[in-house]
Amino acid sequence: MTPPHNPFILADGKKPTCMEMLQLILDGEATAEQQHYFKVHMDKCMPCFKTYSLDATIKELLQDKCCKDVAPAELIEQIKLQISQNQAG
Amino acid sequence: MEEIVTRQHYSEQEKNDIFNNEFLPHINSMYNFGFRLTLDRDDTKDLVQDTYLKAYRFVESFQKGTNAKAWLFRILKNSFINDYRKKTKEPSKVDYQEVETYYNSEDVNRQITPDLRVESLKDMIGDEISNALNSLDVDFRTVIILCDLEGFKYEEMAKILDIPIGTVRSRLHRARALLKEKLSEYAKTMGYKNTEL
Repeated sequence: MTPPHNPFILADGKKPTCMEMLQLILDGEATAEQQHYFKVHMDKCMPCFKTYSLDATIKELLQDKCCKDVAPAELIEQIKLQISQNQAG
Repeated sequence: MEEIVTRQHYSEQEKNDIFNNEFLPHINSMYNFGFRLTLDRDDTKDLVQDTYLKAYRFVESFQKGTNAKAWLFRILKNSFINDYRKKTKEPSKVDYQEVETYYNSEDVNRQITPDLRVESLKDMIGDEISNALNSLDVDFRTVIILCDLEGFKYEEMAKILDIPIGTVRSRLHRARALLKEKLSEYAKTMGYKNTEL
């Protein structure tokens, strides 16, 4: 039985590693065909399955814990003031 | 990666509209990016202010309705490199091309697979994740911020950073491996003795 076509293979014929495929999936850069191929692959590849869960969790944690900074109101006022002064000048 | 910039002609009203409606809505993301680069609140305020003043001054290089966030991030990144990086307390600069080539070899990729579990990650409070991110060298930190925190696509990141897409991908791969190493260290200090993947 011939193996299924791997849509991750680049024009130069280089076969991607599991980690290269996983990164494209995780970052939403994979095509629908690549997503389908990877889903089938992940069912048979335990390292990919575990790494995907881990990397997806880290990505969620980063979004949840590191995006909460809010620019101080005085900074916004200062920027607006500088611009209006530059316009007047 | 030179881009051809077409100058627009805007009235004062249009400039103000662009500034208020397309630039200012991104100020929290800009502030977060600035802080993650400088790791200093005062420098962050200066950097964000400089960026917005430059954005207003060069608004005619911006085409209304295009990706304002990516445009602003690129200005902030350039301002950081030119004006702030020298005074930021960073580890000595390394040759990233050399690092990326070295770490993309398969032998090294096998060695750096970290011992870390999803369960130990979920027990971490925000500080560990934030500290792990902040401890990465600024070029590795930057790709994680752009991709994972801000959700930029590889093509946008390539334009913001002035590097090829292939370099974005390899740098991101290396940055994540380093981040996992840091998180693995934290997990061990939290008492997760058996942290093998």
